[in-house]
Amino acid sequence: MVNAKLNRPDIELIKISSLVKIYPPATLAVDQVDLTIKEGEIHSIIGENGAGKSTLMKALYGLIPYNSGKIYLRGKEINFGSPKEAVRAGIGMVHQEFMLIPSYTVLENVILGVEPTGYFGVLNKRKARERVEKLVEEYNLNLNLNARIEDISVAARQKVEILKLLYKDVDILILDEPTAVLTPQEIEELFSRLKRLKAMEKTIIFISHKLDEVLELSDTITVMRKGKKVTTMVNENLTKSELARAMVGREVVFTVKKDEARPGDEVLRINNLTYTDRYKQERLKGINFNIRKGEIVGLAGVEGNGQFELVNCIMGLIDDYQGEILINGVRIDNLSILERRKLMAYLPQDRKDTGSAQDLSLISNSIMTHHRINPGLTGRWEALLDPGASRELTGQIIDKFNVLIPGIDAPISSLSGGNQQKVIVGREFMLNTDFVLLDQPTRGLDVGSIEFIQKEIIRKRDSGVGILLISADLDELFNLSDRLLIIYQGRIVAEVDPAEVDKEEVGEYMLGAKGVAS
Amino acid sequence: MKKQIITAFIGIIVAFLAGFIIMALQGYNPAASYYQLFSYSLFSRFALFTTLNKAAPLILTGLSAAIGFASGAVNLGQVGQFLIGAMGVTAVGLWVDLPAPVMIPLLIAVALSAGAFYAGIAAFLRVKFNMDEFITTLMLNFLAGFFTLYLISGPMIDEKMYSPMTPMINRGGWFPQFGGLNFAFFLAVAALAVIYFIWNYTKIGYEWKVMGRNALFAKVGGCDNQKNYVRVMLVSGALAGLAGAIMVLGGMQHRFVKGIDANYGWDGVMIAIVANNGVIGTGLYALFFAMLQTGAMGMELETSVPSEFVLVLQAITVLFVVASRESAHLLFNRISVLLRLRKVRSQERVSKGDDSDAAFD
Repeated sequence: MVNAKLNRPDIELIKISSLVKIYPPATLAVDQVDLTIKEGEIHSIIGENGAGKSTLMKALYGLIPYNSGKIYLRGKEINFGSPKEAVRAGIGMVHQEFMLIPSYTVLENVILGVEPTGYFGVLNKRKARERVEKLVEEYNLNLNLNARIEDISVAARQKVEILKLLYKDVDILILDEPTAVLTPQEIEELFSRLKRLKAMEKTIIFISHKLDEVLELSDTITVMRKGKKVTTMVNENLTKSELARAMVGREVVFTVKKDEARPGDEVLRINNLTYTDRYKQERLKGINFNIRKGEIVGLAGVEGNGQFELVNCIMGLIDDYQGEILINGVRIDNLSILERRKLMAYLPQDRKDTGSAQDLSLISNSIMTHHRINPGLTGRWEALLDPGASRELTGQIIDKFNVLIPGIDAPISSLSGGNQQKVIVGREFMLNTDFVLLDQPTRGLDVGSIEFIQKEIIRKRDSGVGILLISADLDELFNLSDRLLIIYQGRIVAEVDPAEVDKEEVGEYMLGAKGVAS
Repeated sequence: MKKQIITAFIGIIVAFLAGFIIMALQGYNPAASYYQLFSYSLFSRFALFTTLNKAAPLILTGLSAAIGFASGAVNLGQVGQFLIGAMGVTAVGLWVDLPAPVMIPLLIAVALSAGAFYAGIAAFLRVKFNMDEFITTLMLNFLAGFFTLYLISGPMIDEKMYSPMTPMINRGGWFPQFGGLNFAFFLAVAALAVIYFIWNYTKIGYEWKVMGRNALFAKVGGCDNQKNYVRVMLVSGALAGLAGAIMVLGGMQHRFVKGIDANYGWDGVMIAIVANNGVIGTGLYALFFAMLQTGAMGMELETSVPSEFVLVLQAITVLFVVASRESAHLLFNRISVLLRLRKVRSQERVSKGDDSDAAFD
């Protein structure tokens, strides 16, 4: 793999010189980065979240303007005003969020915007189909062109995104964390596909923060940290820890240490939970499981297999489900959200939309739920809020959870993602409930914050709290869970001991390849 | 907060400058006109009190809009709630005759509940049928307008008068005057204080504030958004209803006259918007707009600049304050990006220098 690159003459395809991007008001996202991409290589850019990888690529792609610096393509200076210009010049980007029309077929999505037309602008679908079919065959993409996007898997959608770019004759592909939405098997498949693309003389820029992937795939690796380029290395005899050190600037503990769980009484029980949504789709099918105090139960599954509905049922955001949910032996099915919140803490997966009010102050964000539950926050009368106590609670969260803040009255939006998440985790953990529901607690955070939050989760468990952990990150689930449930198409298809299985096996369950009695 | 004061100040100054130019172009004497504008609204006790009396309903309709908008309830029905509040106190004030210490609190209660009731219809439609209050409150404005017009030109008309209006309400319901300063002003200030207190020191005010910024966050946090929404609508309606009532109880006429609502409802919405839905800001802008509207009369009298000219001034103020709030933000961002860039570049020069030295080794 590495040698293949050496056979090729080192032609500088893209050269970025001293690029600076400042997000207003004064966030230095990319700090004078120099980067050279050679023709025909797979060049990975890695770094923690917020290291500037995506920003750098978006600047190259013409999605965002940059403030200073130069970009050259084949020696010619370029500055794309829009992605359209970039595509015309042969650069394409696959984003984390797919940009496809769900109700259109694969073919229609691929040719959208560049439809071949015959006389009088009449769409020549046959011609289009021939070309797309040829591409699918050539690159071994294995796609059904007539399938609607809404009916195909996430991995297939990603293939459609790539196909879209190939159809536009792009020869430089930028992939922004393409593996985040894939299972281990699908990742393997993606990698072999990328290697095939490389063999067909495409140049690939691969953005990731997962070290294993980068080491497996790339010819060259560029490490970014805090907006700066740390180094560019040829992928020869590199080790994971070397790379990790470059990435975070210090050794990272990859596994959070934890002792054996000492489970106590049952805290959560779910009996035969079934939910059919308003489109008559059965989203949850007879879910049964329990969680005891002092254990972390992980829930693995590809996104969209019922996790969202399960969380909403437990939270009370969905109330027309069948079955029973009990916390501490109390049925909560008919309780209001507030009454449920007295029994459980909840960390939503969406920090900005559900976990906080971005415009409001740190105090306003810290006292949510406490203001009704925690008697210490009540002023002289029940209806009043004690401003002093609110401030104090906020201060406690900041101290205990190491939150870096510009000031206690600042809006929470002025904090970095990791610090915002610490505030939210702190708020929920300080509710002191016996049950905690964590939905993607560390998604999109930097390594330092992930480590901190994972440690806090273990500490919470050790204090005798039952935790349900939903995560798309298998490493996290393996690190933290005492038991691991796997959900597939609304069913719990397996319960495994993470110490006894490997990720591949869990991946098979997640994909439905194993454990489904059909 | 500081930024808000600066942008408000800039907005007002620019508006006055623009007004200056417009008047000059029209051949009026701008300096003299402005002098009269202030002298008839501020420079004497009578002028000042007239301004404060004028401010009372504006404070209330402004608060009504501000508290609704800030909580995410788009109540645009100040006009209707104002009219229903005014009609409520007129009806009760005509049939009930009690001594003032009992009568006035009774009528205030009637005004609050009438306004709340009328806003409550929109809230009910929202909760029950998911109809947007933004539309329903607007529609209800027309209903209230025609309904009250019908009442004052038919069942409740004062036969002795030549235009539609009701008879005067009973004497016990008339607000006292304190040397020209009407009780209505104190009532409006008291309402402002109450709302300020609710907004900043109560759990419910906190929940309203959060609901206005991120309703889902509030809901997941355990707040009962539906209940809070209804409460906000009722409070908002009550404030607008009270504004209508003080035009009957505190006005000159002490009766429901056709056109009693003037433009108080929409001015309230405008005030809330310039004040960015802040409670204190709403109070201050209400005073400012009252001052313009009061001074306009004097200006027309002395310099023959038509009193409608203050509408131009008002509009420019709104545009500039709102625009400068937004553009100040953009400008601030642009400046800080440039400053940051300069810093980054100067570091670059230093580090590039190091590199070239190293290269020669």
